[in-house]
Amino acid sequence: MGQEAQRSAFSGALPSLFTGAERERDARRKAKDNKGTDTARGEDGLKRFDFAAPPAPEHFSRAMVQQSAAWRLQSASHPELEAPLLARMTEFWFNHLNVYVGKGAVRPFVGHYAVHVARAHALGKFEDLLLASAKHPAMLLYLDQARSVATGSRGPQGSTRGLNENYARELMELHTLGVDGGYSQNDVREMARVLTGWTVDPGDKSGFRFVARLHDAGRKTVLGQQYPNSFLGSGVGEGEDAIRRLARHPNTAKRVCLRLAQFFVADQPAPALVQTLSQTFLSTQGDIRQVMRALVESADFWHPDNRLFKTPMDYACSALAAVDSVSDTPDWRRWVLAVGFLDAAGQPLHGWQTPDGYKFDAATWLVPEALTRRADFALTLARQADTAEFLLPYMSAATRASVAQERPAMRTGLLLASPDFMYK
Amino acid sequence: MPQGFDFTLQRRTLLQGFLGAGAVYASPVLWAQSKAPAAADARLVVLFLRGAYDGLSALVPHGDANYYRLRSSIAIPKPDGSEQSAIKLDNMFGLHPAMAALLPLWQQGVLTALPCAGSPDPTRSHFDAQHHWEIGVPGKSGSGDGWMNALAAQRAAAAASASGPGKALAVGVGEANPLILAGSAPVQLVPKGQAATRQGALGDARTRDAVMKLYSGQDKLSEAFRAGAESRMQTAQTLSADMADTGMAAQEMQAANNGAGNSKGLLLDAQHLATLMRQDRRLRLGFLSAGGWDTHANQGGVTGALAQNLGNLAATLVQLRKDFSQPNDMVVVCSEFGRTSAENGTRGTDHGHGNALWLMGNQVQGGRAHGRWEGLANGNLHEGRDLPVHHDFRAVLAQVLRHSQGVGTAELDRLFPGYAWDAQLDGLMRS
Repeated sequence: MGQEAQRSAFSGALPSLFTGAERERDARRKAKDNKGTDTARGEDGLKRFDFAAPPAPEHFSRAMVQQSAAWRLQSASHPELEAPLLARMTEFWFNHLNVYVGKGAVRPFVGHYAVHVARAHALGKFEDLLLASAKHPAMLLYLDQARSVATGSRGPQGSTRGLNENYARELMELHTLGVDGGYSQNDVREMARVLTGWTVDPGDKSGFRFVARLHDAGRKTVLGQQYPNSFLGSGVGEGEDAIRRLARHPNTAKRVCLRLAQFFVADQPAPALVQTLSQTFLSTQGDIRQVMRALVESADFWHPDNRLFKTPMDYACSALAAVDSVSDTPDWRRWVLAVGFLDAAGQPLHGWQTPDGYKFDAATWLVPEALTRRADFALTLARQADTAEFLLPYMSAATRASVAQERPAMRTGLLLASPDFMYK
Repeated sequence: MPQGFDFTLQRRTLLQGFLGAGAVYASPVLWAQSKAPAAADARLVVLFLRGAYDGLSALVPHGDANYYRLRSSIAIPKPDGSEQSAIKLDNMFGLHPAMAALLPLWQQGVLTALPCAGSPDPTRSHFDAQHHWEIGVPGKSGSGDGWMNALAAQRAAAAASASGPGKALAVGVGEANPLILAGSAPVQLVPKGQAATRQGALGDARTRDAVMKLYSGQDKLSEAFRAGAESRMQTAQTLSADMADTGMAAQEMQAANNGAGNSKGLLLDAQHLATLMRQDRRLRLGFLSAGGWDTHANQGGVTGALAQNLGNLAATLVQLRKDFSQPNDMVVVCSEFGRTSAENGTRGTDHGHGNALWLMGNQVQGGRAHGRWEGLANGNLHEGRDLPVHHDFRAVLAQVLRHSQGVGTAELDRLFPGYAWDAQLDGLMRS
């Protein structure tokens, strides 16, 4: 397989990812049996971000995660490869509907999720995005939905199984309504009952399966809406309808628009802006493209007082963009650096454990010790790069003056480490 | 509540008595001989278990038949002396067997737990509940300063002459900027794992000068950068010197390699915290956290995912006891809320309410559980599903802060606005 094909394996057909994960388990089991230890975890000379050869079976998931990391860094730092707005929206939605690489079987699917959920619906309808997330193996596995079944269902060896509230709660609290969005513990439980039977299917290209046998066919009420109802009957349609209703709820519009305004405009955006965006959201049935148009057309978006501090991810990608434009050494070394920086700076890629996603305000990221990590990264990253002259017009006089005093070899690094470069 | 304690020495207890490092450091004789520092010198470490840990698996109510009724596949079996069962503490409670290393501390009377503590706010949102805990105001969702930061500010004001102005009194390891430490008082923040030991590009004097020149301004960003650079250099120096002294490097490498797990990382973070607070006595407040406690499915029982985490927690506590065993040192272990009393349909537990909170230190009346416990009968559960919160976490902290740190009533009211002193807990600390 060529390098391009390899690089995109993580976003290819879902059944092949399931197969890869299966082979990985077998290979690891075999290695363990042979050596008596788990050698697959030790040092093995596997070069990071080297996609020239297919991954060894026992490193399949790691290879998928690295391919995804490379893709995300590249998309967000190369405007000629990916439209910057699309790249930013992909990052926003991945974070809003966060999945974590370290949770059980989620690992091989995070990259696929980024491409086929976050990116695919980044500028589409919010409800389609939400449904795609709900049915993707990464989310089904991350928040335990894949295991949640009607109470009393028969499991393997005749064991009984039942409900798991995890996904239903976070769907309401984080993905849609918000914690004060007007739902109760009872709604959470009823929503979980509505979603019983939603699970993964390793053989299907969608990765999703609805198992009617495991679905709770009893009467449920979510936020006043009864299921099953005469219109839908009982089955997968109940959950789809409930998710679409959540997506269209005014509190969802408010929450999503507030977060968009925080991501693109200011840590504390004006309530009027959020209201305008919410109105657009509601009047367009959650058309994200229209909401973004309203955002970009607002005066607040352009107002110089609305300045955002870069998150580590913003910082890493903007520094990569600057250096890549004046340098021609291979990309992958910079990806290694960027991935290491993001780990140390507290924003590892695919690495946020909980479903709330990373924060993106200055209060979280403008912290003394963390700032010095940015300087480290900048100076190392720019070591072999030519001077990024094009940055100079964006810098303050003080920064330009103090950079000019230094050796040329250090100038790009210093420009990237400067206070001016910390803001978006 | 039954208070009897069974001192029957089991085989494994004996072994722990001989081998457990905790036992040596925990000896009350050891601290009684040293000159007691003033309360102002007391150190407090808070270890926060993010994700709502399952206290009913850690402090096992083996004396309550309802526990076994509610948890048919994940309950920890009644103590039977084997390693597949709870370790008996008294006729009601036992320790998870993965936490066996804590038994000597319990027996020496320096460790206790309250089975039903927590926040009076009934939210089942991790993020809201953590927010409430960290700012010390249940129910308040808006912005606020962390109570440990506010405490650092109070302590700094009280000891203004002893510690120079602008020096951090609090240190946090492992998180970018935990809310509990956010606020106006300066705080030293150290990243997870080995990254903490490196000076990075700033280690080179010429580079450092060049970068510092960029940040010579009086704006907030420049000030933050300069403070960060100084603190980072000190942290790296202290930690790498300590590694050289104790030959810890190999051990650190090991921990870092096994890396991804938070569990192993927690022990390393605890070692870093202890080293920093030992080398710099001005650092009197420490914060640590560990994720991975949100066990909705297959949490396991005597073995499994949760047992693994509890084992690492116990090892971390033993480590902390080693370094924080002076008369007024205290360690608090808490989580945002508890989990459902009954297991769910996927052999895990969902979001609950009350939970076990642990205290460790010479000041604590250890060796027995404290606070109200009414059992797991249906009528005693919060909303028919969770342990109730009988004791506000702030009332527990107030006892700790007053007795070990000499924090006064007015100060407590400022730290925890609206909390009430809980006289039922007056026997919690030694007087």
